[in-house]
Amino acid sequence: MAYGYAGKMLIINLTDHTITEQLLDRSLQTLYLSGTGFNARILYDNIPPGADPLGPENVLIFSTGVFCGTNIPTACRTEVSSLSPATGLFGTSSSGNYWGGELKFAGFDVIVLKGKSEKPVYLQINDSKVKIISAQNIWGLDAWETIRAIRSKQNAEAQVACIGQAGENMVRYASIENGPYDAWARTGLGAVMGSKNLKAIAVKGTGAVRVAHKNEFLRAVNKTRQAIMDSPFYKPFSKYGTMLVTIPYQEHSILPGRNYQTGTIEGWESTRTRKQLHHYTKRGVACMACPIACAHWVEIKDGPYADLQLKDMEVTPVIAFGAGCDIDNLPAVAKLTEVCQRLGLDMVSAAGAVAFSMELYQKAIIDESELGFKLNWGNQKSTIKLLENIAHRKGFGDILAEGTKRAAEKIAGSEKYCVHVKGLECMLIDPRARWSTWTLGYITNIRGGDHLRTRNPVENLRHNDNPRPYRTEKFSFPDEMLQTLDMPDALKERVFDPKTGDVDIPQMSKWSEDLISVYNAVGLCIRPPVLHTVGPTLISEMYAALTGIHISPEEIIKAGERTWNLQKLFNSRHGEKPEDSRFPDRFYNEPSSSGKTLDREKVAEVLKEYYKARGWDQETGCPLPDKLQELDLTNQ
Amino acid sequence: MKKELIITPAKCIGCSTCALTCSLVNQGEFDLAKSHIRITKYDFEGIFLISFLSSCKSCHQCAKACPSGAIRSMNVPDNTGHTEGGAN
Repeated sequence: MAYGYAGKMLIINLTDHTITEQLLDRSLQTLYLSGTGFNARILYDNIPPGADPLGPENVLIFSTGVFCGTNIPTACRTEVSSLSPATGLFGTSSSGNYWGGELKFAGFDVIVLKGKSEKPVYLQINDSKVKIISAQNIWGLDAWETIRAIRSKQNAEAQVACIGQAGENMVRYASIENGPYDAWARTGLGAVMGSKNLKAIAVKGTGAVRVAHKNEFLRAVNKTRQAIMDSPFYKPFSKYGTMLVTIPYQEHSILPGRNYQTGTIEGWESTRTRKQLHHYTKRGVACMACPIACAHWVEIKDGPYADLQLKDMEVTPVIAFGAGCDIDNLPAVAKLTEVCQRLGLDMVSAAGAVAFSMELYQKAIIDESELGFKLNWGNQKSTIKLLENIAHRKGFGDILAEGTKRAAEKIAGSEKYCVHVKGLECMLIDPRARWSTWTLGYITNIRGGDHLRTRNPVENLRHNDNPRPYRTEKFSFPDEMLQTLDMPDALKERVFDPKTGDVDIPQMSKWSEDLISVYNAVGLCIRPPVLHTVGPTLISEMYAALTGIHISPEEIIKAGERTWNLQKLFNSRHGEKPEDSRFPDRFYNEPSSSGKTLDREKVAEVLKEYYKARGWDQETGCPLPDKLQELDLTNQ
Repeated sequence: MKKELIITPAKCIGCSTCALTCSLVNQGEFDLAKSHIRITKYDFEGIFLISFLSSCKSCHQCAKACPSGAIRSMNVPDNTGHTEGGAN
């Protein structure tokens, strides 16, 4: 009998419509835990070099976290991975909501999708009954319409993962929507789903997730819940969600204002921050098992978007559209969120593409005749129109649908305005004006320019000091914050300066990437109250009580490190070069409104220190043989 | 004085921690179909309905687990009615 895990993997060959089940391999569990770890192993073993991300040889994997379907706080996340059409590298994204728990209750941990269906289909899972069904009648619908159509036909309570028109048209940053308001957004996984002619995966489960040691489990979960709710980050995040950071971003000049032309925006604080939230939302909405409820239920009562209701007002669209494209009010950002959710677009990359285009329009590199409309900063109607054109690959939208990196190769004189790392648009924080573990993560991140896989669990956003430029960031919280950080003591002494508490950025980057890999494996959420308090000790305790398998805290974090290294090996095999780990030229060459640029040599130095901390070659940035041996990865 | 469950549906955030905890405590596994509480989710509308089955044993573990205050356990005088929402 399986505990914690459902114990089964579902393998779907969309070419010949065969459905097979496979028992989970025990060594896969102990070495990779679940989620992103499983995906790293399966993708590495199944996708040959030179594979086309949009060809039938690509594989798309949905792996639930082993903690999904339980009451472990925030444990609801599923990792979806594939060879990315955006970067050509390891594409991966985590999303919560209820889908992962439902799949576990249906009796599966993992779905592996191979091949390509000749005609549009969707996958229907009702417990052990798995069917491939024609999607002819729903192909062309947006994500919200698709979810409603499938629920009316199958089961009103089904959890639905699906693509909108952007995925169908293989926009390279199409998302897979997870219910109406959540998504596996980054790295273009929706385009892979579209390339396979797979519209949706609808799941309803009525089974159980079993627990090996109930009393120990309840004790460990209570301890974890208490630790999260005692974190000083808990109350503010419960109240404001991620909107909490919108004011510090302006104060530090790190907004990506008008495609990174300015780090501060006039009127920002009175239009697009947590101070306006109470006009539009009265309550939070949570993912499964989450005590934080960082998302807001939004109701727009008047103005051009009156009657709009959705789960929203999260920092990502507010920064990406609100600052990146200078959309100057929260209701308009909510409208753009809805547009992206329905079309199935990654909001960060989509906003990046729009901001890039707006700057090209500002600089007269493109004009109204090419676009069919004016595209001045903050133009809400034109932004909506452009997003629709991207999703439907119409006109200039077709060029943008390839991603800004490829678009810049086609538009003469546009390259310097294109902000991406490894082909993935980054539209959140400006590293020029505030350097931190988080910003180094833009270039160390396995999936490209993104801020969600490297972060200091005790980042202090009140400060903008680098005691040793590029090498350290200030800690400056009370000592209790350090004491409650679940990190081995010996490592704490290396990461935090014993005298000043300053954080060593390369060491912290490695630690946080490994820890976040563990989170994305077991299904936890990286919101600060969790990341601050739940480390390998608590995870090991809960894992043992849930599954009956004892894995030490050291082996837990090693599973995260193993996963990160295997993803790096995957990237090297698929053509990532050392020189790809660099910021866009704009950040080195043009001062931001803070007056700062990045120092190319200093960035290169700190990157080498990061490689050293990882046990990687300092020139190539690839794992060295000793490291691979330590991680049981020698036979790759 | 006796302990009663006080239900405030408007405070429900939809996390289902109550139902998950109920099924583990009372059934020994996570099985929402066997839980004594049902959270019906209308995700498009952002509405969550809390309902208790008559099989509820009033162990109050759901209230202990609820992070939002939608289900609370309170001491009330013996001679009063009890809930805003209907649990026993």
